Amino acid sequence: MKDSLVLLGRVPAHPDSRCWYLAWNPAGTLLASCGGDRRVRIWGTEGDSWICKSILSDGHQRTVRKVAWSPCGNYLASASFDATTCIWKKSQDDFECVTTLEGHENEVKSVAWAPSGNLLATCSRDKSVWVWEVDEEDEYECVSVLNSHTQDVKHVVWHPSQELLASASYDDTVKLYREEEDDWVCCATLEGHESTVWSLAFDPSGQRLASCSDDRTVRIWRQYPPGNEQGVACSGSDPSWKCICTLSGFHSRTIYDVAWCQLTGALATACGDDAIRVFEEDPGSNPQQPTFSLTAHLPQAHSQDVNCVAWNPKELGLLASCSDDGEVAFWKYQQPEGL
Amino acid sequence: MASPFSRALQLTDLDDFIGPSQDCTKPVKVDRRPGSGTAKIHIEDDGSYFQVSQDGGARKLEKAKISLKDCLACSGCVTSAESVLITQQSHEELRKVLNANKAAPPEQQRLVVVSVSPQSTASLAARFQLSPTDTAKKLTSFFKQIGVHYVFDTAFSRNFSLLESQREFVQRFRKQANSGQALPVLASACPGWVCYAEKTHGSVLLPHLSTARSPQQVMGVLVKDFFAQQQHRSPDQLYHVAVMPCYDKKLEAARPDFFNQEFQTRDVDCVLTTGEVSTLLDEEGVVFPDLESTPLDALSSCASTEEPISHWGGGSGGYLEHVFRHAARELFGIHVAEVTYKPLRNKDFQEVTLERDSQVLLRFAATYGFRNIQNVVQKIRRGRCPYHYVEVMACPSGCLNGGGQLRAPDGHGRELLQQVERLYRTVRTQAPEDVPGVLELYEYWLQGLGSDRAARLLHTQYHAVEKTSSSFNIKW
Repeated sequence: MKDSLVLLGRVPAHPDSRCWYLAWNPAGTLLASCGGDRRVRIWGTEGDSWICKSILSDGHQRTVRKVAWSPCGNYLASASFDATTCIWKKSQDDFECVTTLEGHENEVKSVAWAPSGNLLATCSRDKSVWVWEVDEEDEYECVSVLNSHTQDVKHVVWHPSQELLASASYDDTVKLYREEEDDWVCCATLEGHESTVWSLAFDPSGQRLASCSDDRTVRIWRQYPPGNEQGVACSGSDPSWKCICTLSGFHSRTIYDVAWCQLTGALATACGDDAIRVFEEDPGSNPQQPTFSLTAHLPQAHSQDVNCVAWNPKELGLLASCSDDGEVAFWKYQQPEGL
Repeated sequence: MASPFSRALQLTDLDDFIGPSQDCTKPVKVDRRPGSGTAKIHIEDDGSYFQVSQDGGARKLEKAKISLKDCLACSGCVTSAESVLITQQSHEELRKVLNANKAAPPEQQRLVVVSVSPQSTASLAARFQLSPTDTAKKLTSFFKQIGVHYVFDTAFSRNFSLLESQREFVQRFRKQANSGQALPVLASACPGWVCYAEKTHGSVLLPHLSTARSPQQVMGVLVKDFFAQQQHRSPDQLYHVAVMPCYDKKLEAARPDFFNQEFQTRDVDCVLTTGEVSTLLDEEGVVFPDLESTPLDALSSCASTEEPISHWGGGSGGYLEHVFRHAARELFGIHVAEVTYKPLRNKDFQEVTLERDSQVLLRFAATYGFRNIQNVVQKIRRGRCPYHYVEVMACPSGCLNGGGQLRAPDGHGRELLQQVERLYRTVRTQAPEDVPGVLELYEYWLQGLGSDRAARLLHTQYHAVEKTSSSFNIKW
């Protein structure tokens, strides 16, 4: 199992600081990293090595907590503890901050672009989730402020193909939102985690959602549409989300991030015990009650907490991770034989 | 429990569910009595603290109290202060005053006045399937039964609020040439919005806020100044309750600007929401439709006691429409027969324009709900706000949908709101200057339109709240 995750390279991405989050551009050619040094860095390959192509500074006054690429790959959004979200426009290797989204009362924790590229979601310690609409002139307008959570909202993620938004919070729940008439509404609350939910990831089909938590478990939730064959009850026309699998006993500390590979379906986790783990669904397992096996476990992947794991969207098995030690590491994951 | 306050307020941390004790940074002054060097403190079973002096005598210690006023002026935790609110302004408090009156000799009784908002009347009318007129008359009957002396309608004080808003806009529009800051004018009748503006974008937004007092606070001075004089009472001998569609109105009543230092009394002593009045009705065991119809009280002898009078322009007071018509007439000599709203992004963001020869003379907007407020605020911050006047309300759909209104069973909210809106519209409307008694009061009470006295009593001011850094530095 040890050989299934091989280190390809390591860069001191945010030296003397923490590296918080990573995002691959849709083409898989660039990786954006952000950190406590208030900067965003863009990484690309030159030959065999990873080099820093650009540094995005002067956008934020405090820690940059998360970054997200637009589906077209021409824009990058950065969410910061300075209560703002910057939108950077890419032209060749240069990035220019074209808009600053203001409105959150305090630390913005996460940002995510909808698959259409017309909507953006942000969330904050102010307990709210905001949906923004982008027009042709790069103008952003707030279309909804959602106050469903009762605590700090840690993460937002969009469904891979639908306009369905999910958020994770310090209130131990996951909430889902959809548009109704001219506003957005919370259409489901996923309860089960016993502590803060730190991150979320949809599977490639969008039918399942993985959540990871301070309770040291990963939960897999499955969508059941009204009238489903399995007889899972739904209220009205909204689908129900049911927890169909809990991965417990694998992690010894808080799980900060979970990533579902859109190419292979492998599930990677970033943990406070400095380790990276990869899970794969057992072949032939019951879709209503799937089982997953640990296929890779790298105990000392970083020298401190691992904050994020990100699968490359194009290159099979290429995984990036980052840590409180300020470094970004690149890994090659190979599915063990016999699976 | 979900917060009853508007979203705008919740986002200013005003309702953060931090108990004042947990994270309050407000210094509390403790009156220290001279003498007694060391003393023991004894805690009773009920949790009260007693100081035991050396001679064995015990004295109950006062709890440190943080009032809502402290919270409003502070940018620290700024707690929900819900407990503070509930103890200071509740139907229990009204009951206490009424009971005290019953026990007191006549000369010590306070005159109790209740001012009911037309939005609350419409909400109650929907609950009891009555017309707003019948509802108002039966509500008057109910309040008098329990010991209230006078029941007024805040649509009457709204006449002054609207007239002052109109005048102020025209003045600011004319000044626009020499001061870029004057426009847009932002309506200020919504306390949730005002509080948000003060706490989050003070320096940018406050110069734009209309200084005209809201109907509730105009009623406050009408009752505690004009009416008190008429009754030969001092302001503190009156207890003034306002019935409002919104919890945020309680905060407005508690603003230091509306506190009479000389008599140590507030213009509005207690704000009850429509829902709290409904609870009071239930607790008193009243069968509302069976109540008698009592003629309505009025602050002016020329006003009708038979039917309430309202204003055109929607359930949030009609600020946009009144200012628009007045400005069109005063500034451009145009009579506006009908105001046409153009919905923009959503039903809570609408635009009204005045055009001549395809040139836009006036551009107004009504923006309700927090998301739309955000977009207006950002436009103003960037100096790209195309509007001359914006009617801003914190609640989606405006005041008829206020957080203090009666709630429909799950899933029937929209139907109920439509019904309340329909009922609200059935009340006869009149231009504020034509309402009997209004101009007379300007003449005799305020010493004329535009007088210094009118400026003092019918306008207010706003205070930016400086942000202090958070008490803990978040690292994750």
